[in-house]
Amino acid sequence: MNPLVALFRQADDVLRRGSSPARAQPRGWASSLGNSVLLILAFGMFYGGLMGTYGGVGGERIWQVVYSGVKVPLLLLATFVLSLPSFFVLNTLLGLRGDFARVVASLLATQAGLTVILASLAPVTAFWYVSGSGYQQAILFNGLMFAVASLSAQWLLRREYRPLIVRHPAHRWMLRTWIVIYVFVGIQMGWVLRPFIGNPRAPVQFFREDSWSNAYVVVLEMIWKVTTRTM
Amino acid sequence: MESSPGARGSAEPAIKRAFTELDRLLRGEVTQTASLRRGAIDVDPVRLSLVAIVLSMVYGACMGTFALFSARSASAMQVLASMIKVPALFFLTLLVTLPSLYVFNALVGSRLTVAAVVRLLVATLGVIVAVLASLGPIVAFFSVSTTSYPFILLFNVVIFGVSGTLGMLFLLQTLHRLTLARPRSTPDVPAQSPADPLSEPSGPLDRLDDRLLSRHVRTIFRIWMIVFALVGAQMGWVLRPFVGNPNLPFTWFRGRESNFFQAVFHTVLSLFS
Repeated sequence: MNPLVALFRQADDVLRRGSSPARAQPRGWASSLGNSVLLILAFGMFYGGLMGTYGGVGGERIWQVVYSGVKVPLLLLATFVLSLPSFFVLNTLLGLRGDFARVVASLLATQAGLTVILASLAPVTAFWYVSGSGYQQAILFNGLMFAVASLSAQWLLRREYRPLIVRHPAHRWMLRTWIVIYVFVGIQMGWVLRPFIGNPRAPVQFFREDSWSNAYVVVLEMIWKVTTRTM
Repeated sequence: MESSPGARGSAEPAIKRAFTELDRLLRGEVTQTASLRRGAIDVDPVRLSLVAIVLSMVYGACMGTFALFSARSASAMQVLASMIKVPALFFLTLLVTLPSLYVFNALVGSRLTVAAVVRLLVATLGVIVAVLASLGPIVAFFSVSTTSYPFILLFNVVIFGVSGTLGMLFLLQTLHRLTLARPRSTPDVPAQSPADPLSEPSGPLDRLDDRLLSRHVRTIFRIWMIVFALVGAQMGWVLRPFVGNPNLPFTWFRGRESNFFQAVFHTVLSLFS
């Protein structure tokens, strides 16, 4: 089978996981993990690359496309890896260790779903860029796309967790805890990995050297700046 | 990893056996009501202490990474210092609070022996450091990517708070299960009938009943938890620095001044200024 067709079929499978009894997972756990990681890499790179085209693709700006393509899957997977140990210990303490393999598969499948949703929003972002957007607005718009994709991916996560919650109600709390930990770490990771879009007036770099500061404070300032300027 | 502690041969390295012990603890295998009937939890305190030291060193290393990239006094010494200090913090706090705990425990006529109390506390410590070490990667990540010293300090305080709270919840739950477990001498006697007054020695304050742990004992432990938290916080202050103020050169200890609670208060204020 054409590998691209296979990829899209897997993407479709991830979105429809658990939505009907016919879609119960026939494949093994390891292959499910492998598929999820593959999807995160493929679709994450696609959206990341698109993000990076803001400053154009001529000359050295093509590197921004490459860097951003690498950074989106890196953001998701690094955040996942950092958040997993504490989640593992919490699950064990609540007696949920037996389900943990299933939990990991569900979490990765959710992230795969997130990248698929993001990739589907890529045309919207491209349109935003083409319509002539300021740099700060482009950042916020991409943030918005990530937010939309993340919220939509929660749909998937809840569906994955439903049978787990039926088995053991404590999973409901674990679900909420995961989201808190993941978002908390993810925001700082996104900040550290910047630039994703790349200020067109600044040289293309993988990391920015300046301001290793706290992500939360900086984003609030940025929102404030944009809203007060456009008013 | 379904194995009882003595089942494997001595071919297995000690550190692996120690982690297996911790794993059993975290999964709740040592605090099942059936195994609590003997009046103590079934852990090996030596193995568990070994694991606790290793895991707290891991967390200490994560704390110390903040100083690796600090602007003025970048130093790898802080990593080493914190790796020594975090285990010291826990064990010194236990050492300070254990004698009074045991004495009050015996005074209210608890059937918990010294060994049982030690096992309970080491098990609680095991839970605390397991949670702590699992949060270590997140702390290390924030430490190397943030320059805000107040933020990192408070973040570490919160992490210790979370770990300590979960450890205390474990202790409370284990004590609760110990009260539900009946002593082995009266396996089928219902809870209302009195135990033979001559079968077990009791303290002067104890009402004779056949439950393993009386209300008084649980109150003692609850008070102990508060004392442990307070002593631990102040011990942390005495042993400082763990993170390392970027504006000051590395030292093993800072001078004796102020106390933990004032310092946290000032740090919160400086975060907003």
